Amino acid sequence: MAVAEELSAGKASRVLGSPGARLAGRRLLAAIPVLLGVTFLTYVVMNLLPGDAAQELLGANATPAEVHQLEIQLHLNESFWVRYGNWLGGLLHGNLGTSLSGGEPVTTILGQRLPVTAELLLYAFVASIVFAVGLAVLAARWPNGLADRFSMVVSMTGLSVAPYVLALVLIYVFAVKIQVFPAIGYVPLTQSPVANIRSLTLPAAAIAFPLFSVYTRLLRADIVEQMQREDYIVTARAKGVRPWRILIRHALRNSLFGLITLIGLNLGALVGAVAIIEPIFSLPGVGAILISSITNHDVPVVEGIVVVFAVVVVLANLLTDLLYAALDPRIRYERAAA
Amino acid sequence: MSAPLPDILLPPEVTAPKPLRARRTRGKTLKIAIPGGLLILIAAACFVWPLVYPVPKPVGGSILDAGLPPFSPGHLFGTDPVGNDIFSRILYGGRVSFEVGFAVTAIGLVIGGLLGMVAGYWGGGVDAAVMRVLDVLIAFPALVLALAIAEGLGPSELHVIWALSVFSIPAFGRVARAAALTLRGQTFMLAARLAGTRGGRMLARHILPNIMPQLLTFSLLGVGVAIILEGALSFLGLGIPLPEPSWGSMIAQGQGTLSTQPELVLIPSAFLFVTVVALNLLGDALRERWAIT
Amino acid sequence: MRLGSTGNVRRFCLGGTALLLALAVAACGGGSSSSSSTPAASTAPHAGGSLTVLEGAGFAGDWPDGLDPATNINGAADQSYMDAVYGELFELGPKGAIIDDLATGYSFSNDAKTITITLRQGVTFTDGTPFNATAVVWNIQRDLKSACTCKPTWPVKSVSAAGPYTVTINLTLPDGAFIDQIFDSTADWIASPTAVQKMGEKAFAIKPVGAGPFTVVSDTLSSQLVLKKNPDYWQQGRPYLDSLTFKTVGSDEAAYEAMLAGQGQVYEDMSTPSLLKQAAQHFNVENQLSTSPYDLQLNTLAPPFNNKLAREAIYAATNFAPILQHVFNNLYPVTQGFTGPGGICYEPTVPGYPPYDLAKAQSLVKQLGGLTVNLGTIQNLVAQETTEALQTEWNAAGIKTTIASYPLAGLIAQFTSKKWQAMVQTAGAFDPAAGVGVGFRFSSMSPFSGVHDPHLDTLLNQAAGTVDMSQRCTLYNQAAAYIAQQFYGPFYFGFAPANIAVKGVTGPGLTEPLPAVVVTPTILWEDVANNS
Repeated sequence: MAVAEELSAGKASRVLGSPGARLAGRRLLAAIPVLLGVTFLTYVVMNLLPGDAAQELLGANATPAEVHQLEIQLHLNESFWVRYGNWLGGLLHGNLGTSLSGGEPVTTILGQRLPVTAELLLYAFVASIVFAVGLAVLAARWPNGLADRFSMVVSMTGLSVAPYVLALVLIYVFAVKIQVFPAIGYVPLTQSPVANIRSLTLPAAAIAFPLFSVYTRLLRADIVEQMQREDYIVTARAKGVRPWRILIRHALRNSLFGLITLIGLNLGALVGAVAIIEPIFSLPGVGAILISSITNHDVPVVEGIVVVFAVVVVLANLLTDLLYAALDPRIRYERAAA
Repeated sequence: MSAPLPDILLPPEVTAPKPLRARRTRGKTLKIAIPGGLLILIAAACFVWPLVYPVPKPVGGSILDAGLPPFSPGHLFGTDPVGNDIFSRILYGGRVSFEVGFAVTAIGLVIGGLLGMVAGYWGGGVDAAVMRVLDVLIAFPALVLALAIAEGLGPSELHVIWALSVFSIPAFGRVARAAALTLRGQTFMLAARLAGTRGGRMLARHILPNIMPQLLTFSLLGVGVAIILEGALSFLGLGIPLPEPSWGSMIAQGQGTLSTQPELVLIPSAFLFVTVVALNLLGDALRERWAIT
Repeated sequence: MRLGSTGNVRRFCLGGTALLLALAVAACGGGSSSSSSTPAASTAPHAGGSLTVLEGAGFAGDWPDGLDPATNINGAADQSYMDAVYGELFELGPKGAIIDDLATGYSFSNDAKTITITLRQGVTFTDGTPFNATAVVWNIQRDLKSACTCKPTWPVKSVSAAGPYTVTINLTLPDGAFIDQIFDSTADWIASPTAVQKMGEKAFAIKPVGAGPFTVVSDTLSSQLVLKKNPDYWQQGRPYLDSLTFKTVGSDEAAYEAMLAGQGQVYEDMSTPSLLKQAAQHFNVENQLSTSPYDLQLNTLAPPFNNKLAREAIYAATNFAPILQHVFNNLYPVTQGFTGPGGICYEPTVPGYPPYDLAKAQSLVKQLGGLTVNLGTIQNLVAQETTEALQTEWNAAGIKTTIASYPLAGLIAQFTSKKWQAMVQTAGAFDPAAGVGVGFRFSSMSPFSGVHDPHLDTLLNQAAGTVDMSQRCTLYNQAAAYIAQQFYGPFYFGFAPANIAVKGVTGPGLTEPLPAVVVTPTILWEDVANNS
């Protein structure tokens, strides 16, 4: 089969039977044990914690009898496997259980809080990628020039600064001293898009800055390497194609592969970032309740959050793998041959 | 906790030929010497200074000296709200940062490196199994585990090291595996196999020395990440227990009085920043150097 | 002697001679209600406007279970929200005055086992349900039956409606502190029975319906509560505010910055001393009146503090005045007992309280052959700084201390394991017999007490069981002196947090101090005005 035919879009029947689709199917199947593994591990970890939800809920004044009664009510007295099995069964029906703290269904809690976190992370990602691409392209256009040196300094700073420190500094400068952004709080998108963006800017910046730094370095290095080493670039230059066109249409597009893979890898770590940043800005997202849920042994809530993030991570990695395969035919055929 | 796994930053092929360039040896040496020297300076200060030159103890300060500003007599950086000398807390806190950073990275390097190397070289079922395990660890929210360990076992330096090692292992695993995979296809490997080299010897004599430079430079970046993560754990109150100092917990404590005593946050932040920058610069410089050899 | 304690006034009236009768008529005529809640502002408060109040996460800023009095485990911590939505039967006002809100009076039987409460007439819940004895009885019975540990701890035999606006509560044991305990109790907040039944408990907890000054517009649990003025509120001209919003913030510092950024006008319960000093430059800082002094509990059932000498050494090694000065900027008064300036029976100095004596401490430690202490406390800034300061001080006497701070669960675990040695806690309440009062920390029945002493138990029980205020105070003084004599645990300072407000906002708790109910006072939101 000619490579050219494979590269043309829209050949659905060929795509479905193609090595790419088989790759996707394999990866999807492989994702299931990963998800199971993650949820199982979380359950194990939460159960190893001393104390239990009933004691946490009832607080200091509770008698052992009261604690025991609540334990029965919350099914905490049943064995580990029974509880995990129940939860897993519920999961397959779309029921994530109810929070041990207040009895609210986990799906409701997630429904309220996930959009906030999702918007925050989306904002952070978009900002970091846009700025990274912009700066990397400028830097790569004139290696060791002004933009390049600037990019190196800025990205080194971003890699080395701790997000929580950055958040504190941002609040102090932009919310207290120059009152451009709010220090705390979240305004829903439906209420006011402008206020919504404003309320998320500082937290998104705190998360985005380290990401932006890594992406910039990666992109810049990759583009420069391509510009200097790849034969096709030499050919293009010889043909008289303008430098900017080479840079953006060819080098950048190829470099984006590496970037996409990296983004997929990042997502898991972002739970931690979100758990630190959201409380600092009093944003009502999932990060804000993650820590208190763990401390309160609110296993259903913790599991709910873990499942959502794990699914997103796995899907994202799957997507990037597929994208990689779709855009780079060599991968598809290498895999098929392997 | 958003510092990602920078394995992609490394050159895609270990033995790909690089264009020859005029060797700017002196520039390169400086690039290694300056951050390296800075790191040694900071580490020496943290570990050696208190032994040689007396500083006030980092805990148990007298409350009569609470809240002194920097450059007060006897307290270079001032004191915190219960009277502990900040300079001494920076030094002792730095010890914790270095210890945790290097321990976590060492564990990741050894265990993760081994796992990844074996998986990459052998391929097949072993590779698939190892990759699944690493996938689970990567998808697993780091924070939950770290919190659980801190809660369950109680906060301490050792437990922080364990908790963070769970994440350095898969990171090194992926890097080692990617590097080993690339090596597998090289001609010299084929030659070695034809010559009769088997398994362990292959790993030890051929693969390991060739992926070492990548792993080492990755390590230096990893130390920086580990230090920031330790700071994050301490910031959440789950790392080094109070009143023992750690740069992260100092930042967390200082956060409560940012408006009144900003130096409590700024000074440990500055040290944290400079140390991680030095580590990153050193890692970059070494990578540049070894890439040419 | 407090006004409004009808038992006293009645005895006064009954026992009077002609001369006394003349005076008594004046006192009796005043009835059982005390001052009405007019603010002390010199200019008339401005009606209308809105207010955003910031609350610290970890205490008041969390209400994960919603705001139903029968199920809100956080109970008294969420009193601001409960008070705004439900109002209260009785309120604790400035200078410790008991203010009638939805109830208009109370009386005790002679044996203090029956309490009769008269309710205000002509009040309706915001859903139109009439507020009457049936509703109140339904609520109290529901509270008592609930599985929540927030439920009232009175030894109740029965609760019934003696008339359309009269509620009778029969106890199995005498309780002279009943009304003092009501501020602390979820029974003070009355929910609309029709609303609970119609909406179901879960939905009601999120959008509660009461008869208070405000109604709920929206409620994002543990994050933001938006309220608006109740147009049918029983008190004419109140509340002053048109809308009231509560927002959670992470810490004192975060609240301070948010207020500087203009995102809130009030912050409740600030305790960071350096921030208080700085906040005073921009805002009104109102220090509340302490009712729960910080103290050190010593576990007398386990070593080393089963040995009286060890306990004595601790007293002798502790000098709290410099800690107060350097760590807390002298914001709080030193105390020697479990009473504070905001509560009843306040006794600033306890006769026979063992003074600071370093030499004596050192010799005692030598006599003991050394003393090592595990000192614990809860994870909050004031407590932690106190333990660190104590560690330093005791070091001078040769006492080696390891300090640890625990979240609530860990703290409970420490107590239940019985292996704890010393804990910095708060002891006392507005009425020592109520809530986290004295019994909680010093009675042999409490799992959180390190003391098992029948004599002390008797003193405390007697004090709780009588209505005669002067007798109660005498008994509490005796108890404090006995605690000091047995070296059961030194007391440190009367801590009460401060509320900070933007200039122009007035009200009890914001421009005049209130006694704390349980560590923190309840601001009377109907009397708060935003004049800026």
